[in-house]
Amino acid sequence: MINRETPGSSTVAPLGNRSAIAKTATVEAGGSVARRFDSHDTGSALWLMAPALVLYAIFSLLPIAATFWLSFNSSAGFNTASSFVGLDNYAATAADPIVWQSLWHTLLWLIYHVVLAGGLGLALALAISRLKVTQVFFRTAFFLPHLVSLAVVGVIWANIYDPFYGLLNTALTELGLGAFTQGWLSDPALVLFSVNVASSWQGFGLYMLLFIAGLQNIDHSLYDAAEVDGASAWQKLVYVTLPGLREVTTFVVSLAMINGLKGFATVFVMTNGGPFYQSELITTYIYRLAFQSQDHGRAAVLCILLSLLAIAITLVFNRWRARLSK
Amino acid sequence: MLKFLAGSVAAVAIFVSGAVANAQTLKMWGPEQITEPLVAELWNGIKADFEKANPGVKVEFMPPTGTISNGAVQSAIQSNVGPDVILTNSGIGRISIVRNAKQVMPLTEQYEKRGWKNQIYPWLYTELKGQFGGEVYEVPDGLDALGIWYHKDLFAQAGWKVPATWKEFETLLAAIDAKGLQPIAIGPRTTGSAGHLFGNLLQSASGKETIGKALRKEIAWDDPKVAAGAVRLQKLVEAGFIKKEMAGLDLDGASRLWFNKRAAMFVAGPWFTANARKAGYDLVNAGYAPMPSDNPGEAIPTGGVGWSWLVPVNSKQPDLAMKWIDFMLSDPVMKKRAQAPASTMIYPRELTGIEPPTPVLKEIFAAAAAGVGYNPSVYLPATVLDTYFQVIQGLISGQVTGEAGMKQIQAKMAEAK
Repeated sequence: MINRETPGSSTVAPLGNRSAIAKTATVEAGGSVARRFDSHDTGSALWLMAPALVLYAIFSLLPIAATFWLSFNSSAGFNTASSFVGLDNYAATAADPIVWQSLWHTLLWLIYHVVLAGGLGLALALAISRLKVTQVFFRTAFFLPHLVSLAVVGVIWANIYDPFYGLLNTALTELGLGAFTQGWLSDPALVLFSVNVASSWQGFGLYMLLFIAGLQNIDHSLYDAAEVDGASAWQKLVYVTLPGLREVTTFVVSLAMINGLKGFATVFVMTNGGPFYQSELITTYIYRLAFQSQDHGRAAVLCILLSLLAIAITLVFNRWRARLSK
Repeated sequence: MLKFLAGSVAAVAIFVSGAVANAQTLKMWGPEQITEPLVAELWNGIKADFEKANPGVKVEFMPPTGTISNGAVQSAIQSNVGPDVILTNSGIGRISIVRNAKQVMPLTEQYEKRGWKNQIYPWLYTELKGQFGGEVYEVPDGLDALGIWYHKDLFAQAGWKVPATWKEFETLLAAIDAKGLQPIAIGPRTTGSAGHLFGNLLQSASGKETIGKALRKEIAWDDPKVAAGAVRLQKLVEAGFIKKEMAGLDLDGASRLWFNKRAAMFVAGPWFTANARKAGYDLVNAGYAPMPSDNPGEAIPTGGVGWSWLVPVNSKQPDLAMKWIDFMLSDPVMKKRAQAPASTMIYPRELTGIEPPTPVLKEIFAAAAAGVGYNPSVYLPATVLDTYFQVIQGLISGQVTGEAGMKQIQAKMAEAK
């Protein structure tokens, strides 16, 4: 209930008295004032929300509806007449082995991203959080990759992985570890992981900052108490630090999963889904179908599949988190 | 004084607004490699000549962000603020994508009205007319002729000869490999580059007629006669003459190996002269020869229409776009381009009295004079292309055999309309 002052009133009632006055006014008017206020407020609220609602409808609801519509139609492009094909696009998608392969790659990609980017973010946060003078330097240095565009990151890492001139194989050879040189982007068993390393390198900085913020919120007296009890550094990490980071970890994992599902740019730049579809993700396959083959119907089906995947993963993760916190 | 000033301002305003109202801007997608000084010099000159011949017209270059193959052209057209006229990699496979999506105008009428049909080779016009039931959607700007580039000095020092047969070619590959060099460099991450070598191998093993039949669906792609080229690629990889690691390279990465002479051979077309210049490679040292074949008369480059002009359906300046194409097809412009040091292609009609600007281009023109075979990358239907390129990557990375890869291509061909 909004408590309104009479225009021109110079006195402000104490908070306790305000609700009493409001209550009295409502009772005196037999509830009609409250009803008038409610309908007036609802109308105003709708008018105030209208611009946002219109924008939301245009930029979110309409595209979602259009995607569903596209998924039941066949068209060679936006300028062509489309025809209703029922569930044909869904059947073709289900029968396409590359879809299942790219779905599997997407799940692997997500896991790699959570582990590599999230793990590195946590490890570096732990490593630099205790530093006094140099923390700002390291924090800035480690965050810098996050400011670089993913496309640029892709180009940089593709050069690092170059089997003949790349930094990685050259360094291994120079260090006498030539036996470990690899075709980082050509070996089917390695390519997805290699590209994910590049993507995670760009992403870990943000997670590191979140973990540092989480570490700063842990009550220091807990460490003092653990110290008095003779806890080792490992025990302090396991029994004080990690439980203290539970909320941040949940947030980071959620964020990393969402970012993982959105993986596209580095794969597109570094391998374009190859070799022989070994790094194809759902997102890159959607692009391939929609913009290279102009098969918008099947691309729309995959967009819906990706959305369902995101919803399913989020639901499962939230339930698991809720069960853990009970 | 104030009245005079106000009058002057008003006069200037009227003049400026009139000028703005009359000004027309033609947005052109291209040219490629405009950042290279020689290319920029040539195209800025052409632009200036066109603007001079058409007062009030401004030409604006839109540096390409990609091709039809990676969806960049389609996205630019779809944006509705894209180019008015497009110069891009073409061929029936690519053109069918934008034609089926109704993104480009049919130009058949213009061929008659503007006399374009007399400004390209007759065989080329016949080929274009046969592609979409008589409708033509492109105006060829340049033709491709893909063959083997080699280092003349490296070959002379080692006593290697350009092979005449496939057997000699295999012997040469073994000799290069024994010397610690990469016999052939390829960057299949760039799909075109993958197709250049593979098309050469198919042509060399099966001949022009067989590949033509396969493209017209008169023979299956997994027929041993057609699959022979794929099996050859598989064997070259197994023998280590093409390293599996190359599956992770793109055109730039692979050509870097060749420019630095760590690789002895590279399959490319006349456009490679631009890449070579950019890399500081001495083009006098570049040699060119078609891929050898055991079939008589089949050692010819592969190719087809390499680049074409297209007019988007949503071009804001369709008339100006047609005028621009007229201008590009005119004798002075074509001759100017053919003689320019930045010249990188075979032009779509015979140009008499023109001396190619580099010796290697002369060799390419000579090799292509007897005709070129098919580069399937530009002839295959759009729905098959992706599988085609991925199979080549699979062959180079050792994930699929020649026969199995060609079965996958055939399966897609069977689905294609």
